[in-house]
Amino acid sequence: MRLRPGMTARGGLLRSAAFRLAMLQALLFALIALMLFLVSWLAARHYIENQLRQAIADEAGEMASVPADHRAAAVQRALSQVPRNPFDYSVFDRHGALMVGDLLKQPRAGWSVIEQHKAGTGDTQRILVFANALDDGSMMVVGRDLESVEALDSLLKQVFSWAGLAAVVLALAGGMVTAGGYLRRVEAIAGAASRIVAGDLDARVAVTGRNDEFDRLAFALNGMLERIQMLVEGLRQVSNDIAHDLRTPLTHMRQRLEAAMDEATSVESYGKACERALADVDSVLETFAALLRIARIEARQRRAGFSQVHLSRLLEALVDDYQPLLEGEGRRFIVEIASGVRVHGDALLLTQMFANLLENALHHTPPGASVALKLHAKPQGCQVVIEDTGPGIPAAERARVLKRFVRLDAARSTPGTGLGLALVAAVADLHNIVLKLGDAEPGLRVQLDFVEQPDM
Amino acid sequence: MKILLVEDDADTRSYVSAGLQARGHSVDESGDGNDGLLRATQHDYDVIVLDRMLPARDGMSVLRNLRSCGTHAKVLMLTALGDVDARIEGMEAGADDYLGKPFALNELIARLNAISRRGAHTHTLTCLRIGDMELDLILQRVHRGERQIHLHPREWDLLKFLALHADEVVTRAMLLEHVWGYQSSPHTNLVDTHVCRLRGKIERDFLGPRMLRTIRGEGYMLSAKRD
Repeated sequence: MRLRPGMTARGGLLRSAAFRLAMLQALLFALIALMLFLVSWLAARHYIENQLRQAIADEAGEMASVPADHRAAAVQRALSQVPRNPFDYSVFDRHGALMVGDLLKQPRAGWSVIEQHKAGTGDTQRILVFANALDDGSMMVVGRDLESVEALDSLLKQVFSWAGLAAVVLALAGGMVTAGGYLRRVEAIAGAASRIVAGDLDARVAVTGRNDEFDRLAFALNGMLERIQMLVEGLRQVSNDIAHDLRTPLTHMRQRLEAAMDEATSVESYGKACERALADVDSVLETFAALLRIARIEARQRRAGFSQVHLSRLLEALVDDYQPLLEGEGRRFIVEIASGVRVHGDALLLTQMFANLLENALHHTPPGASVALKLHAKPQGCQVVIEDTGPGIPAAERARVLKRFVRLDAARSTPGTGLGLALVAAVADLHNIVLKLGDAEPGLRVQLDFVEQPDM
Repeated sequence: MKILLVEDDADTRSYVSAGLQARGHSVDESGDGNDGLLRATQHDYDVIVLDRMLPARDGMSVLRNLRSCGTHAKVLMLTALGDVDARIEGMEAGADDYLGKPFALNELIARLNAISRRGAHTHTLTCLRIGDMELDLILQRVHRGERQIHLHPREWDLLKFLALHADEVVTRAMLLEHVWGYQSSPHTNLVDTHVCRLRGKIERDFLGPRMLRTIRGEGYMLSAKRD
């Protein structure tokens, strides 16, 4: 399986979901800018036009209050003022003819906008006018150039266009940067996945330390990878172990059978050879069964099929079983079991775990040694300690002996598969028991801490 | 005993069949599930040895069919899946015993003997007598002659199991399973040690014959008969 290259290459930016989101964001920004512009433009225009009308209306009122025979003179005076006031004036007679003023055409009464050529230039100017019919039948027109309004208008349009463009560009750029950031982190995850697909099981997704969603995803993925790696390593380990450790007894068996064929001379010697071969086969089968058992325990879902186990009673029964074996060879068996201790677990597996530890003590201590089994209740759970005064395990080897098929040189001469402690470790792991091998000074101290689970 | 052997592997089938016939049992053979089921319903067998993985119809299905049509033959299941879960599943479906492959022929025969006699005993009995030894199953007491023998609970369980199968060979694996409840046996000397202690209690100080015998390569037998 290969991941699609397009998804990981830089060119993938334009096709990424994050980029599409950035585009959408930019469009939204543009719309918002447009709306803002429309609202402020209309408001500003409205305000300025009102101001203009107010000024014109005031001026027209003032002019209208001038007595009829002085009006032409007043208009004339106003028009010749230097500097000119911003207003335009005209007076038309009752027939509509211009008597005086610079507004050439008579508008209809009331507010209107007229267009006329600017004196001296070819430009058309738009003028807002108020025409006021007077008592003598003439019409007084006062107006003001709309240039300032239109200048403001175009300024606003320009400013908003640039601002809108800037907003869109910024939104797009921001989106691209965000998208790029996300893409890089997705790419990091995809990259790690590709490396794992290519066979590098040590690959992990980088964690930035920002503790965001991506970090949580990375943690979850890394946790998953850790578990998968452990299982795969376990499988690899088992295959190697089988290859190495089952080959040896099978080789021995083959040699013995061959030797029997060559050298056996009587029915009795054949019988002996067959018996030894059978013993070899049985030991291979036992190893095989133990391996399968460990593999099955390791593959089991944590805490599936667990129930309340009366640990005190379970240990007492084991003590009854092992006391004769241990004391039979002159060992001292010291037992301290707190009563009424219960744990959550699989009784069969727990029995097997403790039995393995007691068997270990039995096989690896000389006659006359002491073996102790203690169960203490703790505020959080309970603790089982199994100690002996045998040779113990050197500190450097303690982690190693929990693996499959590890047998210390001192133990090679005694029978055993080298799987006992591996099974103990597997059962302990399944039950979340903290397993510690220590020094009993002298001897081995195995400490098992049952930690109560909050979900129980 | 009249035995039906349903097993698809021809080598295993002929080996087991020959072994059983050599011990005086009559054996019918079948190589697949459908044929096995047909034979089992047509004839009256004491024991059916049923492989779990069979062509045409698997062993579990054969077993369920047999039990649902009320066959009372005892069933011993054979399987390569010797683990506890498979065993529990088989027992719940109505198997009387369960044996993981590969197995020793002696182990199979001992188990067939044990299940074929089961049911004739146990439920109704209140007292077992082997020679001059008497087990009171209700009060859980043992007497030999006039004297009471004091036993630990585990020793009582052990003696009771041996007494229920008196004059039959009982293997170490059977004892581990039925007396101790263990499904696997890294427990090397456990059975031997306890049998040895039990033997001390029931034989030492008594003038009668040896009763708890070790059958080399097979297991133990409780018997009052002289060799």
